[in-house]
Amino acid sequence: MSANIVTIRNLSKIYQQGDINVTALDNISLDIASGEFLALMGPSGSGKSTLLHIIAGIDRPTNGECRVQDIDVAKLNESQLADWRNQNVGFVFQTFNLIPVLTAYENVELPLLLTRMNRAERRKQVEIALEIVGLADRAKHLPKQLSGGQEQRVAIARALVTDPALVVADEPTGNLDSHSAQEVLGVLRTLSRDAGKTVIMVTHDPKAAAFGSRQIHLEKGELSK
Amino acid sequence: MNLPSFILKNALRNKRRALLSVLSVAMSLFLLVTLQVALRELTNPINDEGSSLRIIVRNKVSLAQPLPARQLQTIDRIPGIVAVTPFSFYGGLYKGDEKFTSFAQFAVDPQRSLPLISDAKGVTKEQLEAWIADRTSCILGKMTADRYGLKVGDRMQFTGQIYPCDLELKIAGIYYGTADDRNLMFHQKYLDELLGNPGTVGTWWLLAASIAEAPLVTDRINKAFANTSAEVRAESERAFVLGFVSMWANIKTLISGISIVVVFALILVTVSTMSMAIRERFRELAILKAIGFKRRELFVLILAESFGLAMFGALLGAGGAWALFNNINIQKMTNGMFLMFEVTPQMLGLAFAVAALLGLLSALLPMINVARTSVVQGLKTLD
Repeated sequence: MSANIVTIRNLSKIYQQGDINVTALDNISLDIASGEFLALMGPSGSGKSTLLHIIAGIDRPTNGECRVQDIDVAKLNESQLADWRNQNVGFVFQTFNLIPVLTAYENVELPLLLTRMNRAERRKQVEIALEIVGLADRAKHLPKQLSGGQEQRVAIARALVTDPALVVADEPTGNLDSHSAQEVLGVLRTLSRDAGKTVIMVTHDPKAAAFGSRQIHLEKGELSK
Repeated sequence: MNLPSFILKNALRNKRRALLSVLSVAMSLFLLVTLQVALRELTNPINDEGSSLRIIVRNKVSLAQPLPARQLQTIDRIPGIVAVTPFSFYGGLYKGDEKFTSFAQFAVDPQRSLPLISDAKGVTKEQLEAWIADRTSCILGKMTADRYGLKVGDRMQFTGQIYPCDLELKIAGIYYGTADDRNLMFHQKYLDELLGNPGTVGTWWLLAASIAEAPLVTDRINKAFANTSAEVRAESERAFVLGFVSMWANIKTLISGISIVVVFALILVTVSTMSMAIRERFRELAILKAIGFKRRELFVLILAESFGLAMFGALLGAGGAWALFNNINIQKMTNGMFLMFEVTPQMLGLAFAVAALLGLLSALLPMINVARTSVVQGLKTLD
């Protein structure tokens, strides 16, 4: 295993709900190696999604440090964070979250519109990403013309297209049948194993977690194993 | 794909709603432009060179108060006047079956009025002579003649509304080419005769020798009758019409009020629709944020979408009004109530400015919401 891509030290996240403070993460310290496929497990409300969001730069910790590729993500401002996410993080969500009016090709191309790539370069990247997830022949299909598994694979292609070092997946198989789930998990494992991407996947499904190279558990905001 | 095509696809994702939004903007702006045109046509005085030369002299107390006919001798002696004629508004109902006076009938001295109606075309010398010779004859504007299918030689009956007498007039000629081709002119002598020679006229209508002379003439006339039993107010035809228009203040206020209500209702409807359209896409906007879109880029997406829809609506509504009113015969459609119905560049500018404001306001609330909402909140809201 190579050097750590994610280094978390004494990380806490406390939400204010009215007069009540809710501790989502409590003094977490964690290292994630580059190229690792980490399965983040735990029951609902354990803080696993919160941890994923902080690592991916879409949420900020209350205390502690989260360094990704040696950058303290919490210290970036909104604009810097947006650029950083575009270049370094690929997102896969439980509900796919494709734009319904765009074709599979256009959905995958979306993050590249923020780069300086020209149309030909974008085309090449998109075609590679769709090829990796096995949907090159569905490029012109709208999301509603795809199955759930195919939609999630398009979402993975969208996450890959900027060639990020880190792919975060929040319950990526939660809305899929077992066959489609196997396909999606296979793609994520291939990304980690063959393409060297670091994949962090939140799941409460032990079968899904088994695809990971490492599993960690969160319980009431603390690492339990 | 590029950002403009992405914006277009977003704007048209719910085609029915987009269409209804555009149509609501279009219809409202069409109405706004139509009201503005109507207001302008109702309140815009004649503004040709002749209207600056022509002077109306009325009783200083009120337009409804007559003037003594003997004033003519005094006016005739005032320098700078080319022609002067009695000019009495008869205001009768044609055929007696109309509900209101739809065109004006003026009693004049035909011989004296000729220089004042020199721009009238279509009446031959013989017809003019016939009009002058026969005190029960008249000349009629072509618009009214066309409206009622009248021709030279036909007779017209009027029921008096202001004066206690009815008229029967024979058409001696039909004219066109004046600022208002609806009017009828007949003999003041005939009216006097029917009324038992009261020795009064409604107003005096006169022609100044030049534009430079016109204000001097009005001043001379006002002074000539100062401190008499019938003081007068002389003013240019344009000023007279403007004074007349000022009596329409309530109509102006009403139309302006309706215009404001239209714009306000339009803003409420469109802001609500656009906000709804964006609110439904909060998750998508959160995803766009997650994959690297910055606030300002999302603002551009939202603004371009609402601005585009509003502008398209303006193009249909204001542009449609312009195209329609340029291609219809408004005189015929309104039975001569409106002579013109011109959409001016200022009105188009107003309509597009309203649309631009609309686009901006529609985008404002969604933009504030997007700015305030984090990616995580955006995802949680709809998950």
